[in-house]
Amino acid sequence: MARDEATGPIVQLRRRVKAGAEEIFDLWTKPELMARWMSPFPGAVACKASADLRPGGAFSLAMISGDSRRDVSGTYVQIDRPRKLVFTWMGPLTNNVNTLVTLELDPRGDETDLVLTHERLPTTAIVEGHTKGWGNILDHLAAMVAKGRHA
Amino acid sequence: MTGIEARKEAASRTARLDAVFAALADPTRRAIIERLSRREARVTEVAEPFQMSLNAVSKHIRVLEASGVVERHRKGRDHILSINTRSLDEVDGWIGRTRRYWEERLDAMEGLLRELKKERKAGPRSGPRSGAKSRPKDRQHGS
Repeated sequence: MARDEATGPIVQLRRRVKAGAEEIFDLWTKPELMARWMSPFPGAVACKASADLRPGGAFSLAMISGDSRRDVSGTYVQIDRPRKLVFTWMGPLTNNVNTLVTLELDPRGDETDLVLTHERLPTTAIVEGHTKGWGNILDHLAAMVAKGRHA
Repeated sequence: MTGIEARKEAASRTARLDAVFAALADPTRRAIIERLSRREARVTEVAEPFQMSLNAVSKHIRVLEASGVVERHRKGRDHILSINTRSLDEVDGWIGRTRRYWEERLDAMEGLLRELKKERKAGPRSGPRSGAKSRPKDRQHGS
């Protein structure tokens, strides 16, 4: 019901990173580099990554630590090196539902402003590139709910 | 929990989350939730501030009830609406997990950037661009 008007909540992180935008962009898109930081497991990890870097191309991450295993996959939606990368993301974190991740890089001299946006969207919205956000309403609601509980 | 049970649990959690997200995607419904988050209220009270028919507001309320965000109970002749905070907790949980996940990933990314910088300084022979594939023997940290 009402799926067409549904947009998901947004998680957004901002960071000033001490590196150039090209170098950061490559960390997100070159499999041999992706494998070195994208795994959430601590310690020794076998991480395999593949990336077909073109719009509609797929990437995948297979991360294995002991007998735990995590698989993440997705499709590139927009590639604008080094400023913007948009891709779908499906994995344990998203309960294996398709979500949309947008990486924006804004060069600031030797450093780069990084904005990472992770949205939970219905698939149709992803296909149509319809990514209207709705701000921090959930953060706001969660805060209100928490307050109400302590009162 | 068996694998199948875990998958079922994850699937129903996903369905619940999706219903909550869809319910919250509408500005009128968000306004209703804000209203109810202050305190519970009668249907007519909830409808009051909106420039739409009681019927139209009732439709929104039904969507909120179906998603589990809003609950209805009766007090005498009145229908009282209130927020089911547990349904919002799940959404809040997803947001918290996702934020934590990416905070940690970005920390790791910055760690790797520092490592690559060191490698560039240390080994002009195995420069960063010459052979990214053959990185110096996978670092083998103990655990």
